[in-house]
Amino acid sequence: MNNKALKITTIAIFIIIFIVFYKALQDTNIYTPKKKSNNEIPSFSTNLFYSNKKINSSELFKLDKFYLLNIWSSWCVPCRTEHPLLMDLTKNKKIEIIGLNYKDKKNSAENFLNELGNPYQEIIFDKEGINAIEWGAFGVPESFLINDGKVIKKYIGPLNKELVEEIRLLIK
Amino acid sequence: MLLSVIGHYSLILGLCFSLIIIFLSIKNFKNSEYLNTKILFSSFFQLILVSLSFLCLVFSFVFSDFSNETVFNNSHSTKPLFYKISGTWGNHEGSLLLWLLVLTLFISLFLIKTKKQPVKYKILTLLFQQIIIIGFFVFLIQTSNPFNYLYPTPDEGLGLNPILQDPALAIHPPILYLGYVGSSIIFSSALAATCLNMISKKWATHIKKWVLISWVFLTLGIMLGSIWAYYELGWGGFWFWDPVENVSLMPWLALTTLLHCILVLEKKQVLTSWVIILSISTFTLSMCGTFLVRSGILNSVHTFANDPGRGLFILVFLFSLILISLFVFFFFHKSTQNELNNFSWLSKETSIIINNWFMMYFLSVVLIGTVYPIFLDVLSSQKVSVGPPFYHKLIVPFLIPFLLAMAIGPKLKWVKSNLEDKLSMILLLIISVLISFFILKIFEANFLINTILISSATYLFFITFRDFFIKKFNNISQNIAHFGFSLLILSILFNSLFSSEITTNLKVGETFDDSKTKIFFKSIKQKEEKNFKSIIANFNIENSMGITENLSPELRIYNQPNIVTSEADIKTTMISDKFIVINVVQNQDYFNVRYQVKPFMLWIWLSVLLISFGGLVSLFKKNYE
Amino acid sequence: MYGRKVKLRFLFILLILTTLILTVFLVLKSLKENVVYFQSPSEIKEISELDKKKIRVGGMVKKSSIFITSNEVKFIITDFKNEINVTYSGAIPNLFEEGKGVVAEGFLKDRNFFSATKILAKHDENYMPPEVKEALGNK
Repeated sequence: MNNKALKITTIAIFIIIFIVFYKALQDTNIYTPKKKSNNEIPSFSTNLFYSNKKINSSELFKLDKFYLLNIWSSWCVPCRTEHPLLMDLTKNKKIEIIGLNYKDKKNSAENFLNELGNPYQEIIFDKEGINAIEWGAFGVPESFLINDGKVIKKYIGPLNKELVEEIRLLIK
Repeated sequence: MLLSVIGHYSLILGLCFSLIIIFLSIKNFKNSEYLNTKILFSSFFQLILVSLSFLCLVFSFVFSDFSNETVFNNSHSTKPLFYKISGTWGNHEGSLLLWLLVLTLFISLFLIKTKKQPVKYKILTLLFQQIIIIGFFVFLIQTSNPFNYLYPTPDEGLGLNPILQDPALAIHPPILYLGYVGSSIIFSSALAATCLNMISKKWATHIKKWVLISWVFLTLGIMLGSIWAYYELGWGGFWFWDPVENVSLMPWLALTTLLHCILVLEKKQVLTSWVIILSISTFTLSMCGTFLVRSGILNSVHTFANDPGRGLFILVFLFSLILISLFVFFFFHKSTQNELNNFSWLSKETSIIINNWFMMYFLSVVLIGTVYPIFLDVLSSQKVSVGPPFYHKLIVPFLIPFLLAMAIGPKLKWVKSNLEDKLSMILLLIISVLISFFILKIFEANFLINTILISSATYLFFITFRDFFIKKFNNISQNIAHFGFSLLILSILFNSLFSSEITTNLKVGETFDDSKTKIFFKSIKQKEEKNFKSIIANFNIENSMGITENLSPELRIYNQPNIVTSEADIKTTMISDKFIVINVVQNQDYFNVRYQVKPFMLWIWLSVLLISFGGLVSLFKKNYE
Repeated sequence: MYGRKVKLRFLFILLILTTLILTVFLVLKSLKENVVYFQSPSEIKEISELDKKKIRVGGMVKKSSIFITSNEVKFIITDFKNEINVTYSGAIPNLFEEGKGVVAEGFLKDRNFFSATKILAKHDENYMPPEVKEALGNK
């Protein structure tokens, strides 16, 4: 048997397997949806966190303003890291931050806000995680930049300094 | 807080010791009359550091220190102490730390226990093992540090997935890891022995202990996982051919093959290439399993939400290990040319080789079935899953010759032999065929393939059973293991042939009635426990013989995280298991009820225990035959 | 004539080769027969011809669509673009809930009705099968 050919084939086979596995790994990442631009926000009616009042999406998101919808939860670790950035963003009067409290307990969410501050104008209380599905969110945290009833940009995962800077530029 | 700091720094220090050990080993390798005691000390010190780090994590869990991210994500203060401790390895970070602990433990044991082998061999084994250890250290510290610090400290943790809060699953990972990691020693020592060209009878005797140890643990680990799936997942099955299960089966198949090859190598200088390839593939298959499970590229019922970013590290690491071993194999291994000569068709080694080919076939079937969906997805982005019929169709028919070879093989002598006491063996064969024919006739389940399969399993059963009483074949460990295997196949066959199942939706007070079985949903009551609420249902089940059985399955509603689990109620007897599980459907009055009668369930577990007991006996018996 | 050893060796190699070819053939054949394809409700709508093969359908269980009787469960799987009605009789896994991801295995009756033989359970409520994620992501 030709020894050299055998060696080369073996190594080649393993390299092919490596490439396929590598591709498969990449594929698991593309399951997060692509950036949606100019998408209409879903219309829904929902309960507010503090007042427990029912409210429609059109009342919540007025057409002439910029909004940042932030999906968060007290049990979500990255939410803690992005929270100071949101607090900082409240200083900018051009944008209102709306929170969507995802699959959380009311008192632990309250504790979270008491501890770290409340950057949200209004908070949607999404105990079952149903609203988050309507937004097409896959996890916490996620943020949607909204203007004129449309989602301009979607941020998956926690916001960081660069992204907040980008938001500031977008709403100028 | 303090614990996390200690744990984290002992990890980093442990990594430094790896570098020291490598440095010392290379120095020692050049003038290698005796093993430098510094190396021994450094290895122990590394072991102590890793254990310290592991203990820190355990105590962080016990004290519910939520400033530690791993604890926060996976524990809750109301959890019972036992599950706090087992929660340590119930998550990605902790389980990797456990891997590392077992890795360092085994290499230290290896250094103490190996006395008669050359120093160069010991050092090389240590070096290869350190490469693996460093890989795990870097992986832990870089991508999955179990001691990440959280600020501000949360008041309460997220809780361990309730489905994992179970005694069988609490000890399943450590035992499985002992098996996986044991194969790492075989991997390193096989590579070292190849480099020094000392794959020989002597080496085979020495490495056999390690093969046996990992084999016993792997067998037990797989069994525990299977038992857990049986009563916790509520399907009533014990093996689903799910990718995650396959991934633990593959190293087992490779290891079992290796075990048999080592036996041949111990007697004759043959099959050396085989032994090396198998040693390498056992460990790489274990690693491959970790990769597939941890990276989330497989879609399986056992997959937990996880981070694909980590997958890349394991993938690169895995393939560098494969490349290193291929390099060693190609450049150092000189196969003895006359391996196939003086080789007779009717000898023990032939039968072992034949069985090895079957094992390799089973292994490739499982491997192809597991990775095929990944390949197809990448190449044509079609999503598929490979179901049990694929495996059944390809594996079951080939079990027949496999079982027959298992029965006859051990009777043969090494090198060359004639089959002794042919008459009684043929007699037994006829008896087993008749028995299986009648069994199937009585129960009206007559398929040709089942008849033949049961015959061959019964044949193996009789032969091994008889051999317990015959002095001439007193290879007791082999006999126990093979006897256990025949029992396993028989119980699985009877189990799958004669199981019956009723699924129905019932309200409280209603009765399900087909002509054979009556299921009366008597009542439900609620109970509050420390970390869950439970709904206990009560059923009266009457079978056709008029015997009533009272079963009370349970639904548990855990508070943190908010998950419902079904606890099956199982009445186990020697003959059969009666298994009932209920589930509630959201916002509905109906309960989904599933009642199953599964014959010989207990025997499946007992026979696996018997198989691993065979391995244990062989481990403690000095020199047999 | 060749020696006995050479002959034996030749036979041996021939034997291995035949088994190998046979095995590969067998494996490929049963792979083709026993593979279960995964499809989203939208993909089903676009199928040109229906066949009797087993498939898997994945998506979300539509809100307030679960309807249960004593011998079967009916619900709707949606990918927010298209829907499919599913009937199922059998054991229901714990994490089967409205508004959660689901994978059902079974046979298509037509483009709107699916008769499931199995509903797949997941251990982890936060885990969404990649297929379902993709099916939802493409909306």
